Amino acid sequence: GLIRFNDLYRLYEFENGKTQLFNSWGVVLKIIKHYQEEGQGSEVVQGVLLGLVVEDRLEITNCFPFPQHTEDDVDFDEVQYQMEMMRSLRHVNIDHLHVGWYQSTYYGSFVSRALLDSQFSYQHAIEESVVLIYDPIKTAQGSLCLKAYRLTPKLMEICKEKDFSPETLKKACVGYEHMLEEVPIVIKNSHLINVLLLDLQEKSMVADKHELLNLSSSNHLEKSLQLLMDRVDGMSQEIVKYNSYCRNLSKQQQQKQQYLQRRQQENTQRQSRGEPPLPEEDINKMFKPPQAPPRMDTLLIAGQVNNYCQNIKAFTSQNLGKLFMAEALQGHSS
Amino acid sequence: MSRFFATGSDSESEESSSADEITPKATGTTFNKQALLLSDDEEDTKRVVRSAKDKRFEEFTNIIKTIRNAMKIRDMSKCLEEFEQLYRAFLKSKTIMDKEGVPQFYIRLLADLEDYLNQLWEDKEGKKKMNKNNAKALSTLRQKIRKYNKDFETEIASYKENPEQSAEEEEKDDIGSASSSKSDDDEGVTAKSLMKKKPQEEEKKAPEASKFLKGAADEESESEDDEESEDWGSDSVDSGGESEDNEGAAASLAVVFLKKAQDGDKHPERKKDDRRKRHKKMEQVDEEADEEGEGEEGGWEKVKGGVPLVKEKPKMFAKGTEINNAVVIKKLNEILQARGKKGTDRSAQIELLHALAGISNENNLGEGILVKIKFNIIASLYDYNTNLAAFMKAEMWKKCLECIDELLDILFENSNIFIGENIAEDSENLAISDQPFRVRGCILTLVERMDEEFTKIMQNTDPHSQEYVDNLKDEGRVCGIIDRLLQYLESKGSTEEVCRVYLRRIMHTYYKFDYKAHRRSLGLQGETKSEQDQEESEGEDSAIIMDRLCKFIYAKDRTDRIRTCAILCHIYHHALHSRWYQARDLMLMSHLQDNIQHADPPVQILYNRTMVQLGICAFRQGMIKDAHNALLDIQSSGRAKELLGQGLLMRNMQERNAEQEKIEKRRQVPFHMHINLELLECVYLVSAMLLEIPYMAAHEFDARRRMISKQFHHQLRVGERQPLLGPPESMREHVVAASKAMKMGDWKTCHSFIINEKMNSKVWDLFPETQRVREMLVRKIQEESLRTYLFTYSSVYDSLSMETLSEMFELELPTVHSIISKMIINEELMASLDQPTQTVVMHRTEPTSLQNMTLQLAEKLGGLVENNERVFDLKQGVYGGYFNRDQKGGYQQKQNYQRAPDQRGGYQQKQGYQRAPDQRGGYQQKQGYQRDQKGGYQQRQNYQRGGYRNQNQSSY
Repeated sequence: GLIRFNDLYRLYEFENGKTQLFNSWGVVLKIIKHYQEEGQGSEVVQGVLLGLVVEDRLEITNCFPFPQHTEDDVDFDEVQYQMEMMRSLRHVNIDHLHVGWYQSTYYGSFVSRALLDSQFSYQHAIEESVVLIYDPIKTAQGSLCLKAYRLTPKLMEICKEKDFSPETLKKACVGYEHMLEEVPIVIKNSHLINVLLLDLQEKSMVADKHELLNLSSSNHLEKSLQLLMDRVDGMSQEIVKYNSYCRNLSKQQQQKQQYLQRRQQENTQRQSRGEPPLPEEDINKMFKPPQAPPRMDTLLIAGQVNNYCQNIKAFTSQNLGKLFMAEALQGHSS
Repeated sequence: MSRFFATGSDSESEESSSADEITPKATGTTFNKQALLLSDDEEDTKRVVRSAKDKRFEEFTNIIKTIRNAMKIRDMSKCLEEFEQLYRAFLKSKTIMDKEGVPQFYIRLLADLEDYLNQLWEDKEGKKKMNKNNAKALSTLRQKIRKYNKDFETEIASYKENPEQSAEEEEKDDIGSASSSKSDDDEGVTAKSLMKKKPQEEEKKAPEASKFLKGAADEESESEDDEESEDWGSDSVDSGGESEDNEGAAASLAVVFLKKAQDGDKHPERKKDDRRKRHKKMEQVDEEADEEGEGEEGGWEKVKGGVPLVKEKPKMFAKGTEINNAVVIKKLNEILQARGKKGTDRSAQIELLHALAGISNENNLGEGILVKIKFNIIASLYDYNTNLAAFMKAEMWKKCLECIDELLDILFENSNIFIGENIAEDSENLAISDQPFRVRGCILTLVERMDEEFTKIMQNTDPHSQEYVDNLKDEGRVCGIIDRLLQYLESKGSTEEVCRVYLRRIMHTYYKFDYKAHRRSLGLQGETKSEQDQEESEGEDSAIIMDRLCKFIYAKDRTDRIRTCAILCHIYHHALHSRWYQARDLMLMSHLQDNIQHADPPVQILYNRTMVQLGICAFRQGMIKDAHNALLDIQSSGRAKELLGQGLLMRNMQERNAEQEKIEKRRQVPFHMHINLELLECVYLVSAMLLEIPYMAAHEFDARRRMISKQFHHQLRVGERQPLLGPPESMREHVVAASKAMKMGDWKTCHSFIINEKMNSKVWDLFPETQRVREMLVRKIQEESLRTYLFTYSSVYDSLSMETLSEMFELELPTVHSIISKMIINEELMASLDQPTQTVVMHRTEPTSLQNMTLQLAEKLGGLVENNERVFDLKQGVYGGYFNRDQKGGYQQKQNYQRAPDQRGGYQQKQGYQRAPDQRGGYQQKQGYQRDQKGGYQQRQNYQRGGYRNQNQSSY
C-alpha cells in the first residue's frame, strides 16, 4: 500500500536525553521554498508544522504555510484554514497532528513579544510544540540555519500568570538566558535520497569554486550592527523607564517611612496618655505604589541582543579564522 | 455757580415758579453771589438789621448798574434778566422797603428804563437790526415794566417832576407805596407766601430797626451819593470812569471794547499819516535807485506794488540822508525784524538785503557792514524754505553759492575782519576805523548748511536725469568753497572749526576714486593727456590729503563724532584704493566695531559703507575669507540697500509711518556716492562660493557641518528648485551655475560662468583694476576647484600624480604641491606626498560605514551602561539591606565587581580612545581654526548691525 513518510526515517537517540527533534528534509525544503516564494527582505513567513510525538522525540514530518495576508480579504479565517488544511492532509493520509510552527527570521531577529505570545499559546495547547526558526540569509551563505525553540517551564508559568512585574521575574529567577530553550535537531533523509545524493556528488565534477576565504563582511555585519543598535536603544529606554520607576518607588518608600514614624510617635504619646492608638492600616491606601513597568520587554530585548551578539560573534570568529588561515597560508607560501 | 443758584432758589420756595414767562437766565456772577448772601443772611438779619439793609441796597445798586450797562450796549436779554432779579430782590426786601421806603435810585431806574425801552420801541430801524433774542426780550421787558411801574406811578411821576427829591419825602412816599403794593399784589403765589413768612420775622425786628432809623437815613444819603456817581458814570460815556472797572465782567468788557473802538477810530488817521510819510520816503528811494540802474529799480518797483503794509517798511533812506553805518545797521535790523514772521515775503526780504548791500557798497561803508549784510542774505536764503524736507530751488542755490563766494572773497581780501559766533551783537565793530572789523556770524555754519543743502538737492533729483548731472557739476563749486574756507580757517579759525571744515573736505573726498594717482602709480603718465588733465594731475594725491586731514582730526578733535567719521572715511578711502592692510589696521585699531552701535544712524550708515568697501577691497586683493567676513553681515540681513542708505525697502506702514519715512529719506546717501549693490552681492556670493564649495566637499558626510554662508545656500536652493535649467541670465544664476561646476571640480566651466561678457559688464568692469581682479579670480577658482576635486574624489584614487593635477587645473606644479601640502597639514586630506614620483598617495583612513557604525554603537553602549549604573546606584542607596539576603548575595557581588574601578576605567579609556581618533580630531581642530579666523570681525559686526537695526526699530 501507501508508504508513509515517516517510515522512511531512521530514528536516532541523543545522549543528553532531552527532547529531540527529528525533521525531514522534505519539511526543510518546503520551508525554504516558502520563504523563497513569499518572503522578501525583512518580511517574515510562517507556517504550521505537522508530525507526531514518539516517546521523547518529536517528529516533524510535514508542514504547510500560512497564506500571506492581504488586506483585501478581511474575513479570511486563519483557524478555519488550518483546520481545512489538516483535514485535507488527513484525507491523503499524511500526519496531521499539530506540533508547532515555523517562522523565518531576518538576521536573527525573532525574539519578540509576538513570538512569545504565539509560542505560549501553542505550548499551552500542545505541550510538545516547538517553533522552528529558519534563517534564510545564513542559509543563502551556504550553511543551513534552522533552529528549534521552546519556552522554558519557568517562562510558561510566568506567562500563564501574566505577571511580568519586576518582582515576579526576580523571584522566578528568569533571565534572558532562561527564556527559550533550544531543542537539538536531527534531519533525516530516506536512504534512497541519501543514495541519490551520493550519486549526484559523484557525477558532478568539481563543484563551483567556493570562495572559502571570502569574508563577505560588509553587508551582513553592518546590518547586524544596525539591528543591534536599534535594540540597544530600546534597552536604554527600558532602563530609563525602570530607573524612574525605581526612583519614584524609593521616594514613596521614604515618605511612607516618615509617615509611619510620625504615626508611631503619636501612638506612643497617645498610649502614655491612655488613649487608644491610631490604626496603621490606612497607610497602604495613602501610598499607592507606582505602576511598575512590565519587565518582559526588557527580557525580550536582552534576549534579542544576546542573539545578535551570538550571531556577530559567530560571524566574526569565522572571519577571523579565515583571516588567520589566510595569513598562515601566505606565510607558508612565501 | 449756577448750581448753587438753583439750590438757592429752591430753598426760597416757589419763587421761581412765579416767573413763568421769565426766560431761563444765564446767571450773572454778581447776582449769584448776592442771592447766596441773601439766603444766608436771613438769619443774620435778626441781629444785624442795618447790615441787612445795607446789603439789600448794595444788591440793588449792583443790579441797577448792570442794567444800565446792558442798556448802554442795548443788550435787552441781559436787561430783562437783571430786571427780574431786581424785582425779586425788591420783593425780598419788601419789609425793609416798608420801613425805609422805596429808594430813590430804584424809582429812578424804573423811570429811566421805561423811557429807554419806549425809545427803543419807537426805533423801528434799530429793532430790525436786533437779533431775535434781543427783540423778544425787549418786548417782554417793555410789558413787564409797564405793568410794574403802575405800582410806582406816583413815585415815578414825582421823580420826573423833581429828580432831586429829599430823603424825607422819599421815605414817606415809600411807606405809602409799599403798603399799596402789599394790598394789590398781583405777582402771584410766591410773593404772597414770601410775605407771609417775612412779615412775621420782620415785625419782631421792627422795634430794633426803628432805633436805627436815624442811622438808616444816613445810609440813605450815602446811597444817594452812590447814585449820583452812577448817574455821572452813565452820562459820561467817553471817560468810562474807574468805578466801572469794578463792575461785572460783561460790562467791563464792553467798556474795554468801547474804549478800543474809540482808539480804533483814532488810529486809522494816524496810520494814514504814516502811509503818507512812507510814500514820500519811497519816492526818495526811487530817486536813489534810479541812479543805481534800471534792473534794480525794476525789482524795487515790484516790491512796492505787491507787498502788504508790513513789508513796505522803507529800507532805504530819505534823500539827502547821510548814509552812514548807523543808519544802515538800523535799516538792516528793521529788515531782520520781519524775519520769521508770518506773512513776510521772504524773497522780497532777500531782495531788500541785496539792495542794502548795494547801497552800503555804494557808499563805501566798509567791508564790515558788507560782511554783516552778506551773512544775513545767506541766512535768509536758507530761510527761504520753511520746510526742512524741501530743497533749494536752483536759482536760490546759485545765488547762495555766489554769495558765499563773494563773502569769502571779502574775507580773504580783508584780513582785518574778525568773524565769529561768539562776538556779541553790541561788541561788533562794523565801522571803518583803526580797529579791525568785528562781525557776528559763522561762515563755517553757513558753509556746512550749504553742503547740507547740496546733499538735499542731490537727494531730491532723479539720479537718472540730465538734471542730476547738472546739479552734480556744482559739486566742484561746493568743494571749491569748502577748500577756500579751509584755507581761511586754517589761518584764522579755532581748532574745532578746522576739524569741522576738514571733515567737510573729507566727506567730499573719501568716496572718489583718485584716477590720477592711480594712473600715476601705474606709470601711465603723459601721452594721451590734454593740458587740462596735466594741470589737474599736479594737485595733491587724494590719499595724501586724506591722510593729512584725518591725522589732524585724530590729533585735535575733541568730539567723538567727527573723529569717528574721519576714521571711517579714511578707511573707506584706503579700501577704495586697495590699500587693504592700512584700511584693516585702522579699522581694528579704532575699535569701531565695538561701539558703533551707539552712534547715530548717519554714522552707522557710513560705517556700513566702509565695511562693505573694506570687503570689496579684500576681495580685489584675493583675500576671500576677509571679504566674506566683512560682507557677511550686510548681505545676510537682506537689507543691504537700507543699511547702506541707498534706498528704502518697501515695507508696510505698520513698521514705519510717514514721519519716519521722511527722516529716513533725509538719511539717504546721494546717488553719486552709492556702492553698486549688484557688485556687492556678486563679490559676496563669489567669495562664499570659493569658501563654501570646498568646505561642503570636505564635510559631505559630516552630520554636524555648518553653513558658512546662509545666503549662498539660499541661492543654491533657489537654483535647485528651478524646474527647467536654462543658461544663466542674472548674476546670481551665473554664480549658482559656477558653483555647481565647481562642485564637480570642473574649473573651466566654473570659470566661464564667473568670467564672461555678461558678468564683466555687470560686475567686473566696475573695478578699477579689472584685469588684475579677473586674474586673481581665475586663480582662486583653479585652486579651490582643485581642493574640491581632491575632497570629492580622493576616495576613488589610490594615488594621484601631481603632474596630472597640474595639467587638469592648469596650475604650476609648485602650486599644486603647496595646496596639497597645506591640505595634508590641515588634516583635510589623508594622504602623503611621494617626492620621487611626484604623486599623492592616499591613506584611506576615512572610517568605513561599518567603522562609523561601530563608533555609534560604542557611544550607545556607553549610554546604556551609564543608565544601568544609575539604576544600580539607586538600589544601593535606598535598599541598603536589600542585597544582604542570601538569595541575592551573588548578584550583588557580581555587580560590585563590575563596578570595580579598573573595569570602568578600562571602558572609559576605550571611550576616550574612540572619541579622539585622528579623523575627528582633525575636524575639530579645523573648526576651531575657522572660528578663530572669523572671531574678530564677526562678533563685532553682529554687534554693529544689531545696533543699527535696534536704533531703527526703536525709532519706529
